[in-house]
Amino acid sequence: MPLSAPAATVSAGTATQRETEQDAVQRPADPWVTIVWNDPVNLMSYVTYVFESYFGYPQAKAHSLMMRVHKDGKAVVSSGGRERMEVDVQAMHGFGLWATLQETGDAQGAA
Amino acid sequence: MTPFRAMRRGYESRMDPVERAVLARVARDVATMVRDETGLPAAAPEPDPNDVPTPHTGSTTRVWNKGLLAPDEITDGDLAKLTGISSVGPMPQDPAVRRLLPDASRDDQAVAGEFRRLTQNDLAREKVERLEAFADLLEPPASRDDPEPEKAPWQTLGRHGAPPPVRVSRESAEAVAGALTDMRLVIAQRLGLESDDDVNALTDQVMWDQQMGREIPVAADGRAARRFWSGVFVAAGFALETLMEVMIADLRGRPRPADGGAEDN
Repeated sequence: MPLSAPAATVSAGTATQRETEQDAVQRPADPWVTIVWNDPVNLMSYVTYVFESYFGYPQAKAHSLMMRVHKDGKAVVSSGGRERMEVDVQAMHGFGLWATLQETGDAQGAA
Repeated sequence: MTPFRAMRRGYESRMDPVERAVLARVARDVATMVRDETGLPAAAPEPDPNDVPTPHTGSTTRVWNKGLLAPDEITDGDLAKLTGISSVGPMPQDPAVRRLLPDASRDDQAVAGEFRRLTQNDLAREKVERLEAFADLLEPPASRDDPEPEKAPWQTLGRHGAPPPVRVSRESAEAVAGALTDMRLVIAQRLGLESDDDVNALTDQVMWDQQMGREIPVAADGRAARRFWSGVFVAAGFALETLMEVMIADLRGRPRPADGGAEDN
């Protein structure tokens, strides 16, 4: 799969509402979330350890987040500004977990 | 292989020479794969200031409109030093490496591309370094270079003697767990394990074969290779699972900085 050009250029030339929204995205206060996705390889104990160790979540919260990943296929594990979420996603990838970041607005709006 | 146990100086497991050699080999292979796929420079033990820069394989002479040439001997690394911006590695093509360095967004190519540009080199380097450190822990470099490898310190004692255990320091335990995880992710991709059921079935099969005393055949056909890799996957999983047990126990036994309590449970 090729590394495609930034999708932000997609709306170039059409002054649509979408473009206005994209400008708004740049505001640092906009909340984003980090999502961890299920995979068949990572051990439940390891995922729990990561949530406790990296995020500092209490044992019960780490366990329930792990179970949500395991049963629902994904879970939101942290939220905040985009840069902060990029740090969290990078850490998750470092641990070998499959994580993405997403705008919370997109989470409801996306098809 | 015995389960990892918490000892004063770290977490220890006893492994057969064969187990050490196989896990070390796989760790090195995965490190090489990540390095190649992400365009990281090959291992440079100690940088020698007198070294002539070696031409980067990927760099080609560029002819610009007005005939300006970029010298062949300028590497991406040199450019990085010059500009302070690390070069952007290529998108990994190998699906196993793509799993280690996944897209950070499912539906937004701009977000995923930006993230890859910012983080891929650092992540790849971190993974390569800890895989190689784990391999060195299993097979210390001195013993690998030994002209008579059968006299390596960790092999001097027989199977029923007491060879020194694999000792993982508490400081390096997360890196070892990460290396084992990356190895398992790569093997799982190669074996086509896509669901929990796939993994459970494979684990059951390996355990069953072991209980029946079936040796992994040496023959190089596809089935033998699959059984070999299945065995490595399960062995790495056993090492990781038992390491996590002792790491989690330590983590939970540690007083929390926030509430400062509960060290006695």
